[in-house]
Amino acid sequence: MRALILTLFACVPLAGQYRLYTCMITSRGYVVGAALPPSGIFQKPANGAWEHIGYAHPFIMALDYDPRDPATLYVAAGNGLIRATDRGRTWKILTSYDVTELRDVAVDRNAPGTIYFSHTAGIRVTHDGGATWHPADHGLRRKYTEALRVDRKSAGHLVAGTEDGLFSSNDGGNSWTRAGAAGFQVLRLEQSPHDPCLWLATTQGGGVFISRDCGRSFENLGRTGVDRNLYDIAFDSGRPERIALSGWSVGVLVSNDGGKTWQSRNAGLPRPDVWSVAFDPGNPGRLYCSVHEEALFVSDDAGATWRRDGLEGSIVHRMTFVPEAAR
Amino acid sequence: MKRVVVFLLLTAAAAAAEVPPFAERVRMAIELYAHPPGGRDGGYVTIAARLYLHQESAWCSKRLIELLAGPPGGDMFWMYQVTAIAYLDGGQLSDEARRALRRSFKTYMPYRGDTENHWVMYYSSLYLMAQLWPNEAGETWYTGKSSEENLREAQGWIESWVKLTTTRGQGEYDSPHYMAMFLIPISELAAWAKDPAMKKRARMILEYLVADYAAENLDGLYVSAHSRVYERALLEKAASVAGDFGWLLFGVGHKPEPFISAYAMYFVIAAQYEPPEVLRLIATDRSRPYTHYERKRTRNRWRFYDELHGPVYKTTYVRREYAVASDQGGVLQPIQQHSWGVTWAVPDPRGVQNTLFTMQPYQGLRELQTYFTFPPDGPVADIIRSKPTYDSPDKLLGGSPYEKIFQNEDTVIALYNIPPHTRFPQINGFFSKDLADVREDASGWIFARGGEALIAFRVFQPYLWKPIQGGSQRLFSPYLQNAVIVQVAPVTDFGGMDGFRTTILKLKLEARAEPVPTVRFRSLRGRDLQFTWGQTPSVDGKPLDYAAWPLFGGPFLEAAVDSETLVLKHGQLRRTLDFKNLTVQ
Repeated sequence: MRALILTLFACVPLAGQYRLYTCMITSRGYVVGAALPPSGIFQKPANGAWEHIGYAHPFIMALDYDPRDPATLYVAAGNGLIRATDRGRTWKILTSYDVTELRDVAVDRNAPGTIYFSHTAGIRVTHDGGATWHPADHGLRRKYTEALRVDRKSAGHLVAGTEDGLFSSNDGGNSWTRAGAAGFQVLRLEQSPHDPCLWLATTQGGGVFISRDCGRSFENLGRTGVDRNLYDIAFDSGRPERIALSGWSVGVLVSNDGGKTWQSRNAGLPRPDVWSVAFDPGNPGRLYCSVHEEALFVSDDAGATWRRDGLEGSIVHRMTFVPEAAR
Repeated sequence: MKRVVVFLLLTAAAAAAEVPPFAERVRMAIELYAHPPGGRDGGYVTIAARLYLHQESAWCSKRLIELLAGPPGGDMFWMYQVTAIAYLDGGQLSDEARRALRRSFKTYMPYRGDTENHWVMYYSSLYLMAQLWPNEAGETWYTGKSSEENLREAQGWIESWVKLTTTRGQGEYDSPHYMAMFLIPISELAAWAKDPAMKKRARMILEYLVADYAAENLDGLYVSAHSRVYERALLEKAASVAGDFGWLLFGVGHKPEPFISAYAMYFVIAAQYEPPEVLRLIATDRSRPYTHYERKRTRNRWRFYDELHGPVYKTTYVRREYAVASDQGGVLQPIQQHSWGVTWAVPDPRGVQNTLFTMQPYQGLRELQTYFTFPPDGPVADIIRSKPTYDSPDKLLGGSPYEKIFQNEDTVIALYNIPPHTRFPQINGFFSKDLADVREDASGWIFARGGEALIAFRVFQPYLWKPIQGGSQRLFSPYLQNAVIVQVAPVTDFGGMDGFRTTILKLKLEARAEPVPTVRFRSLRGRDLQFTWGQTPSVDGKPLDYAAWPLFGGPFLEAAVDSETLVLKHGQLRRTLDFKNLTVQ
């Protein structure tokens, strides 16, 4: 009986526990049609080991989850928008031939049946969990959209990072207004978990852009990352002032004052070329980063020291912490 | 001159006498791949060839199970191969092998790819496999979609691609290598689709693609400007699969070497499509010179352009002795574009570098980010890892935004306007080891003979010669503003180089490099050709009308933009492919 109770206890997710999902590829030597290297989604539960789930796929760029059922993931992939249920094990492609090479995906926290994704030629939305899709890029002259986020507090408000800067929509993608970073390709976009009106975007060569008016307008955040390419942004959910950035020839930058100043956190990393970075919401101060074709690295002191944490030889495009249970 | 004509006729007659009829050629090719010399095993191709011949079914089953346990790899290149095996099975494979094949479409998710040939392979295969295994639930497919959903999706893509191709042209056009990756899956679809409309559509688009090649081949060699070509085949025209298709489909060129490659799967299914007589004549009749026009599309331009596709304007001049071909220049395709060149005929082109051209060795992130989803870091290094010459000043392959091209019959004018600080501020020209009588004339012209073609070449800035391993030479002209003129003529028109030289030197020519390159040239054909960087070229004072450029135009093929039809013509023969109504008349 005691064993049964322990087993049951072990199966019940603890509040505050998260599972780390990575969208990755071991890219060295891979071209389309070659033998497929380890790729797709690798996941690791809190205190667990890495496990590959679902199919190997060389082109998985991002994922999000259904807040009502965090075991259901939505995956932006080369083959389309994939719904991966059973914690990513069972896949179904929800889109058809008319979209390719998806870049980002965002589930609307205000309406979980509503899912947006960006792809090579624009933005699409479903309001019925993926049964039907509609264009949501009306008015965007240049469609290529690398980054897309839905405001978690404001229904119908989206921010898109396109090849020509940032755009904001208040009507679910029916119309768009320029929000900043004109002329720069946006590489990543995130909304602060502490302040829904604080947004950050990183760009190809243009540095970091910040919005303090809920994503309506963005301004350049000084010289940080200018003339470099910044690929990712991470807010520390335990400390509102702590933010991390990652980039090429930049490595990992950490700010402890909300982006006013930045410190390099590359000591112990084999090279300063970092694709993605993420704070573990279940472990304060724990920071992960993906070093180009080296491995995933983890730090328990916000980047002061690092150790290897598997996924050898990989490029991790995106790390997403998903709660073990719905809240 | 008479002697030359007689010689050519005799050679042609002798060659024709050696070529077996179509059915026999197909059979010879299949035998070749069913039992490759040296006991080699071509994997899926060998299985398919043996199944076609109804040979060694037990071996086929065993080998298929082994390969599928591998596990599978190769994405859409894998799909079309196992699709052929599934349809050639005809009860020969064991149940275990058949189950393994069915299971692989659940356990392995092929990547759909990022370009047109990938999608043709992917969706043709998915269509046929969904047709083969109907009424099966999504749980049995890697897509998670039912057989009917897969079939519908594949059908949607195929129909949309056929429409786009027959209205605005192919995007990955005229590749002497990747043509196989279109012809194979479309042949499979034409052979095995059950739906009469799909079968008809596939058969018609197959003929459309073959006609596209037929009008631009010289003894089987694909002579046009190419969207994609590999470096060896760029110089040695016969070193591509196009020549194999020429031999198989039209009996020109040489029997394929037993080269084991997935493209060889075509031979296994080739029997179901024998080109009609009008197409055979288009492919082989070079009794009169002709200029052939085509409009194609760029590859999908994901970034930096308002329109997904840009137009490609192609001109190809073909005669028995040589071909001259071009597009308008610019970066129309990434990495492997070849924009213009002269190809001369030789009795046996194997091992011969029978071409001449110039180009600007451009490379850059903008090119890669236009056509791929690459991030800004890593991709150039990745490309160099797989294609080391991409970032080489010596390279001879690739398009450039700093090159613009104008062709009229067998005259080409190429202008170069290279911004300062460009990585490789130069042009490269390829001068083959197989050119004869190369003469650097005091006039500034370079004269040479390739086979029975006389070539006059002029570059307007100083140049140096750089050796290429194997004996050919690279013309190197490191100037930001430059221009090249090439005029070609058959030996029979002049009897030899001296007469050609004398005539060329009399042609009126004006050129200047600044402020932008500009050339005015009275061609050998009597045309007043004018071309200035940034302006529309003109013939006899009349600007080229790019808006009126046909999808296909010339004596053999005719199609208007947006028409969804193609007329094949030769003499009194006419054959019209009407994709709107799915009819052939």
